[in-house]
Parts: sequence; structure tokens; C-alpha cells
Amino acid sequence: MTTIGTEPSAQTVAALVEILGPFNKTGAELKPGTRFTEDLNFDSLVVMEFVAVVEDTFDISVPLNILPDVATIRDLAAAVDEIVAESKS
Amino acid sequence: MAELLDRFAPLMGQRDALFGDGGANPFQVKMDQVLSQTEAMIGNRRTILVGTNNYLGLTFAPEALQAAHDALDACGTGTTGSRVANGTYSGHADLEKTLATFFGKEHAMVFSTGFLANLGILSTLMGPEDFILMDADCHASIYDGVRGSSAQIIRFKHNDAADLDKRLARLADKPGNKLIVIEGIYSMLGDKAQLADIVAVKKKHANTYLLSDEAHSLGVLGRYGRGLPEEVGCEDDVDFIVGTFSKSVGTVGGFCVSNHPQFDTLRLVCRAYVFTASLPPSVVASAIANLKAVQKGGALRARLMRNAKHLHTGLSALGLKIASDVSPVVAVVAPDVQTAVTFWRGLIEAGVYVNLALPPATPFGYSLLRASLCAAHTEEQLEEVIAIFAKVASDIGLITPAKTKRTAVG
Ligand SMILES: Cc1ncc(COP(=O)(O)O)c(C=O)c1O
Repeated sequence: MTTIGTEPSAQTVAALVEILGPFNKTGAELKPGTRFTEDLNFDSLVVMEFVAVVEDTFDISVPLNILPDVATIRDLAAAVDEIVAESKS
Repeated sequence: MAELLDRFAPLMGQRDALFGDGGANPFQVKMDQVLSQTEAMIGNRRTILVGTNNYLGLTFAPEALQAAHDALDACGTGTTGSRVANGTYSGHADLEKTLATFFGKEHAMVFSTGFLANLGILSTLMGPEDFILMDADCHASIYDGVRGSSAQIIRFKHNDAADLDKRLARLADKPGNKLIVIEGIYSMLGDKAQLADIVAVKKKHANTYLLSDEAHSLGVLGRYGRGLPEEVGCEDDVDFIVGTFSKSVGTVGGFCVSNHPQFDTLRLVCRAYVFTASLPPSVVASAIANLKAVQKGGALRARLMRNAKHLHTGLSALGLKIASDVSPVVAVVAPDVQTAVTFWRGLIEAGVYVNLALPPATPFGYSLLRASLCAAHTEEQLEEVIAIFAKVASDIGLITPAKTKRTAVG
């Protein structure tokens, strides 16, 4: 996933923030730079559950391989943008 | 500077919160004396074992014991080498031949454990242009195996052939090979793969292979014990079967069988095969003997299933929630982690051993008392187990005592 680190669409970020709501147990503010592990206390189980919701929401498959490179909401949004773009090409 | 293992502090904190009071602790259960396939002394207490995965009770089969003794005397305590160096004895080749014949496949490869079989095969089969689609509930060894692969790893919803189909369809224009990975019987809840549906999906898509880990279904399902593919009648559609000798075969070791013409390539490139010592001769001899017993084990399978039904019916009648239909794995779902721990302690203190399985190792975040049946369990043992479940469950307020007055079951 080469696009992690590039700026994702605001729409994707907004959609992720919305579905993150029920997963936000720390009450951290949900913004592009929010980190899954440090700010939201996600463990491996929660990550898997959340990724499943992301996949359903965007109707995509998120390969497990990219997860180690996804630290923030921004990273995930960029990855989602790329997967969505690729599936339409 | 953080201490070396500080990143595990939340986990250790959780463990201390649950077990720090010094009460019985599942990480410290020690079988001080093994009395039989179904009983052991744990401390001073005679305990009925209902969590061993010893499905057919073959750990004391006389033929296997004799074969192991003979091999031990003839070949020594270990091979001191890997399969590709000095670690292949005639017994290893005989075991691979026995496995190939057992499954009716061209090729068989023996690993030192089932964990290593998954690690070796899954990290090697698929390359950088390929895709692995794994059931979300797969075992840790499958997760670790695919992590070593250069393929893209995609999870599909547990046992959901339609979800798998959708994900394969998204990959339709990708040239790479696809490998579907499932288990015959899923280890935690004991539910079976929807194999016929998954095979139908596989056949719809080009360049798509299927691998099934039959760890818990080998010896358990199928007329000759070849697992779920035999039971469902689609053995030719399962391209790779991985399994272990550590459950129904009653010893230790892992394997993969297949008809793929290039299978022998794996012997050179599976690092978990090349760079670890081979199984000791006595283990190899007991595996060969017990595979024969598994094949002829129709009566044992019938007894296992009768026992599974007995326990499932008995525990359901108490009002306990069981995670799947009748299966050799009977997973009782506790409402929360703390209740599961209290329940488990009550059982072990009353002389019943089951597995305590907690999230994140469990599907749905379930807290489970996971029982597994053995063909060697007697009806009396199972009645005692059910009575102890009833007493403990009502002591901790999980069921109302009225429900514990049962009439005979099974
Ligand atoms: C589904 C599954 N695969 C693989 C294994 C690993 O087998 P082994 O004990 O031989 O390493 C197990 C059991 O631990 C299992 O449940």
C-alpha cells in the first residue's frame, strides 16, 4: 500500500469517524491523526472487529498485510481510498 | 526506558485481576499422575478429563504402545536432525506412505507439529501475486502461517460462503492464484465448515485452491475417519489437507497431504520442515499404529458421538448455553469472563477438567468452558460431569436449582 501517508478524502475520514463511534471506549477525539493503539486502546480483537465493519461499509476487502502500517484514522482512510479506487478501475 | 515486556502489561494486568487471588489457575494446571485417557490426579484430586482433544482415546492403544517401545529400543530417543539432513529414518517414510494411503492422496509430508505444518505450508504455497482467503475463526497457527506469506491475506466471515464468493469475485481480474483456508471442525466452538457451499464457491472461480485444517475432524468425521471432506463426499475438491497427530491420533506431529503434482517442491522450501528436528522414532511408530486404528475406528467414532450427544443433551437440559450443535467439542458459553473463571474453578475443585477459553482467543468474544469428549468416557463419568456442572452452575447463580433436577438423558 503505497498511498499510506498521502492525504485521504474528507468523505472517507468522515465515514470512518462515524463507524468508529461505537468502538471508541476511551472517549478520545476522533480526527485524522487519532491513533488506534495509543489513543483508542484497540487490541488485536477490536482491530479485527472494526476492520470487518469497515469492509462491510465500503464493500471492500482490507488485506491483513496492510494493518501493521495503519496507525491512524488518516492511514486507514488513505488505504480505503486506494482499495476503493482499485476496485473501480 | 520501558522494560522489555512492558507492552504486555495490559494482558498481565488482566491475568492478575482474574487469577491474582491465588485460587485455581488454568495456566498452572498440572497432571501429577495420568490414570487413563479420561482421568488424572491433579494435586490430590482424582479428576475426570473432559478437555484433552483425545477424541478416540488412543493414547494408550496397546498396538501403538508396543510399536513405540520397539522403535525406541531399535532407533533411540531421537533423530537429532531435520528431515532434509540426518532426520529421515525409514519410519518417517513409512508414516508418509501410511498417510497417503489413508487419505487416498498422492503425496504426504510429515512435520514435527500441526502448528509447524500450518506455518510451513501457509507461508510457502502462495506467492507475491497471490491471495489467501481465510475463515475469520481460523486457529492461531493459520494466522501465524499466513503472516509469513508474501500473498495478500483476506479474511472472510466465519463459515459464510456468500461472503467468500463476494470477496473472490472482487479478485476476478487478478491473475494470481487464490487459496481458501478453512477448518473441518472449528476448534473453539466445535462447529463444522459449510464445506459443500464453500466447494461450490471454489469451483465458480478460476485458479482457486482449497486447504482444510482437519485438526479436530481427523478420526472424528467420515466413515473411515478422513474428516469432513469424507463425510461431505468432496475429497477431490480439497486440494490440501493439513492435520495433526496431537488429537485423535493420540501422539504429536503434523502433516499435509495433496494430489498436487509439484507437492515435493515443498520439501525443499518449507522452512518449518527444513529447519527443525524430525519426530522421534517412537512417536512416528505410534502415529503409524494409531492411524490404522483411526481408519478401523468406526466403533470408536460411534462411541465418541454417543458421548458427545450425552454431554450436549445433559448440559443443554440444565439451561446452559452451548455454542454449537452436537459435536465432540461442547463449548458452554458463560455470560462474562469473571463468571467463566468462577465456573471453571468450581469445576476443577469438584474434579472436572475442561478448558477455560477467553477472548481474544475465542470467536464473538465468548468466555467459554470448552469440553471435548473422548470415546473412552463412560456413561457414569459423563453423568458425574453433568451433575457437577449442575451443582457449580447453580452455586454461582447461573441456573436455577430447579433445572438441576433432571431425568436421565442420553
Ligand atoms: C485447528 C488447529 N490447527 C492446528 C493445531 C496445532 O496442532 P499441534 O498441536 O499439532 O501443533 C491445533 C491445535 O492446537 C488446532 O486446533
